[in-house]
Amino acid sequence: MYGRAVALAFAISLTTAPLSAQRRPAAEDTARAVQLLGRATFGVRPQDLTEVLRVGRQAWLERQLHPETIDDSALATRLATAFPATRMAPGELMRNFSPPDARRRQAAAERAPGGRPVAAMDSVRRRNAGPGGTTQRWRAELVAAKLNRAAFSERQLEEVMTDFWFNHFNVFIGKGGIIWLAQDYEENAIRPHVFGKFEDLLVATATHPAMLIFLDNAESVAAQPMMASPASAARPARKRGLNENYARELMELHTLGVESGYTQQDVREVARVFTGWTIDHLPGRAQGGDARFVFRPRLHDQGVKVVRGERIAPAGQAEGLRLLHRLAHDPATAHHIARQLAEHFVSDHPDPAFVEQLAQTFLRTDGDLREVTRQLFLSDAFYAPRNRETKLKTPLELVASALRATASRVDVSPPLLQTLKEFGQVPYMNLSPTGYPASSAAWTSSGALLARMNFGLALGAGRVRGVPLDPGLAAQEDVRALAARLLPGRDTRELVSAVRADVQANPGSRGRALGLLLGSPDFQKK
Amino acid sequence: MSITRRAFMKQGALALFALGLPPEYLTRSLLAETRGAARKKTVIFIFQRGAVDGLSMVAPFGDPEYFQVRRSIALSAPTRGKAAVDLDGHFALHPSLSPLADLYGRREMGVVHAVGFPNPTRSHFDAQDNLERGTPGVRTTPDGWMNRFLGSSGESCAECDGHTLANPRAHAADHAAGQAATLFRGVAATPVLPLSLRGAYPTLAIGDLSRFGVAGGRDPDLHDTFARLYRTAAGDEVSAAAQDGLEAELILKHADPARYTPRPGVEYPAGDFGRSLRQIAQLVKADVGVEVAFTELSGWDTHVRQGGESGQLAARLSDLGRGIRALYDDLGDRMDDVVIVTMSEFGRTVAENGTGGTDHGHANCMLVLGGSVRGGRVLGEWPGLAREKLYEGRDLAMTTDFRDVFAEVLTHHLHAGAMERVFPGYAVDPRRFRGVV
Repeated sequence: MYGRAVALAFAISLTTAPLSAQRRPAAEDTARAVQLLGRATFGVRPQDLTEVLRVGRQAWLERQLHPETIDDSALATRLATAFPATRMAPGELMRNFSPPDARRRQAAAERAPGGRPVAAMDSVRRRNAGPGGTTQRWRAELVAAKLNRAAFSERQLEEVMTDFWFNHFNVFIGKGGIIWLAQDYEENAIRPHVFGKFEDLLVATATHPAMLIFLDNAESVAAQPMMASPASAARPARKRGLNENYARELMELHTLGVESGYTQQDVREVARVFTGWTIDHLPGRAQGGDARFVFRPRLHDQGVKVVRGERIAPAGQAEGLRLLHRLAHDPATAHHIARQLAEHFVSDHPDPAFVEQLAQTFLRTDGDLREVTRQLFLSDAFYAPRNRETKLKTPLELVASALRATASRVDVSPPLLQTLKEFGQVPYMNLSPTGYPASSAAWTSSGALLARMNFGLALGAGRVRGVPLDPGLAAQEDVRALAARLLPGRDTRELVSAVRADVQANPGSRGRALGLLLGSPDFQKK
Repeated sequence: MSITRRAFMKQGALALFALGLPPEYLTRSLLAETRGAARKKTVIFIFQRGAVDGLSMVAPFGDPEYFQVRRSIALSAPTRGKAAVDLDGHFALHPSLSPLADLYGRREMGVVHAVGFPNPTRSHFDAQDNLERGTPGVRTTPDGWMNRFLGSSGESCAECDGHTLANPRAHAADHAAGQAATLFRGVAATPVLPLSLRGAYPTLAIGDLSRFGVAGGRDPDLHDTFARLYRTAAGDEVSAAAQDGLEAELILKHADPARYTPRPGVEYPAGDFGRSLRQIAQLVKADVGVEVAFTELSGWDTHVRQGGESGQLAARLSDLGRGIRALYDDLGDRMDDVVIVTMSEFGRTVAENGTGGTDHGHANCMLVLGGSVRGGRVLGEWPGLAREKLYEGRDLAMTTDFRDVFAEVLTHHLHAGAMERVFPGYAVDPRRFRGVV
């Protein structure tokens, strides 16, 4: 109703005067700023809204599109101090956190003739060697670091897009040694490319050990591998051959989309192209951290392949790179990516014309994700009144936005992990290559909504272990001031009056107003 | 203490009861009525999400090709005295499913093999959507077939003389008993509502029954304030789902399913799956009117080192087998009114792949269990594993449509009609039913 009135006023202003920022009603500017911040960050804070209104949406977005220009040293310091393991390479993580028996095996392997010398046990390792220095501990730290970045990084858009693209190229830390590799995957395969070229992102994921393990390509070899030497021919080799898992998901999820018309035969051919794309040793959980990408010509299928009618001449590793290049530039990929972005950031049912526009930009700019992201957040369709305050935050977005509104850091927090589990969205823990859904419909359920209310109440009362609320927040009884802090720029009059009535009937219930606001429908939406 | 007008309107005396004002006579009559309306036949669907290898669940050891193309993962034929359970001289049950073997022997478990859709997809998410929407190949279907079943089946409310209800929400607003009978007809014991149950008809997702409710039910004001905040706005599914949850909490409070502990000796497997089965048993025994219950178990995508009698798949199947058996024993003679159905989006390749696993295939098998099941048989037409019989030269061909199995269970066990609304675009024909229920 309110939105419609504003839109009407806006339409009238259009007919009477040329469009300019000065003449646009202030309420409309605010509504658009809230829309931008609601979707391009992990939660709108009052200071964010003030900033966007001060510099303008375009300038704010431009800065966010160049995260290297934004000082984020406070977060970096915080992570380095609280979670030193966030700076460890995969192998180091594994040696610090893997279970004791696996560590012993590892040490034994290192002592073996020709192996590396046993690394000196550093202080972190000693600390982690006791109870809690386990895989579970690292998983908890990994999630806590993720929540800190999401809630408190100044480079909000980079965090949002890193989350989007990780999910697009999902890997699951419960498989193989991926628990040791996921951080490296996120920091070195995903993050550097979120405002770069899609092809680079695609190649980075295709060659990362986490993906090679997750979708089994590391173990996929030519059906009749070329025998390198008479010696290996004499030894009865373990029976190995083609695995089509990566090939299928590459086309279905990462690039073309399931409706693009590739065939089962294409899947086989693509799998043949990627034979030999593997890691230097096949991991168990205990060894995955040391895995490195290698191309092994001996395991590669040397024959001619035909993918979607196109002949791929034998060329070793170059075949795969050429195929990734083609896939990255295919119109079907552009549409698939455009649609994913529009569904995630604009609407469960995006306007097809808008998707088409994004796809055209993708094609025109050689898959430049900075250009595509810019257009996404500046287009008229994004700001259309029917798209405002309509998306249900995903559970991760809810938790991150609640932290962003009420705290300035989060520690390792078992209850928060439990909450995310109850919501059905623990970061890094989705075993499906599809990743978590982005549609509101997928997250709308009675049980999850009750859990969201309870999470709000617990957080508001300061009862979520590991989340220190900002001082004074739980004691704040001015409901209107709290609502302005949690939902800046939104119409909260009805909400405030309902919460106020409850709080007045229940004096002395600490953090109650904050809890009700965090659990309210208004706070669930963006 | 305040009762929101909506809550009172919708639940009337039941809300009063839930809030701690239970006049003795009211309790008796209301419970009798609710239970009278709610004591229903139930179907429990277990979704093996991620495509289980049906040729390992129920292995066709009578086909010579089975051993030829599955050199490292084939089960040993039961005739050699190995652990697989011989079902009929041709098929054997995976040893991890042996807890179900005597149910098969008692004819309370049947198998339908070579079930699938006439749709070529080998995409997990596409095929899962097909299975949940019940309209293979039509990606625009907005709701799940279980939801359409709930919406299209006439529910008999004693006060309404059993007419079919066009608007369940409005009906629920009028009658306390109707409210209970409506809200719990479709329940998922999962944190997220599966597509199968999504749609216009109100359904519930209860991830953890013991935590279902606002602030543990200790503060009715909080409950009511949230109810006020989430008052349904037209077309807002989020508010509607929240309202349903808040109302379900009140009903659960008086049905108190937590009172029911599993029967002595029943042990559910540890973990989320076991807990979800236990919750379903609790809800069924609480007589809140569950007609369709849903849960799922994932981890079936065995592309690598799937294993045979033991290994990765065997461990997963063990959870499934022990879980179903626990549920079966826990429900006891209630199983006369309950049918359990397993399903999985597609089967896996007939031949093992180059990494000791299997890739995405086509047709699969389903288990159907219950007192009214005509079991002890492997049903459906068996296409065989000879190469020329395989779908696209590599996968088990489909001879039974998923929809025929679902339709048979719905019509024979739940006495549903209106199959054309449940499975639009598909002419359900009882002559194609396999006779499992």
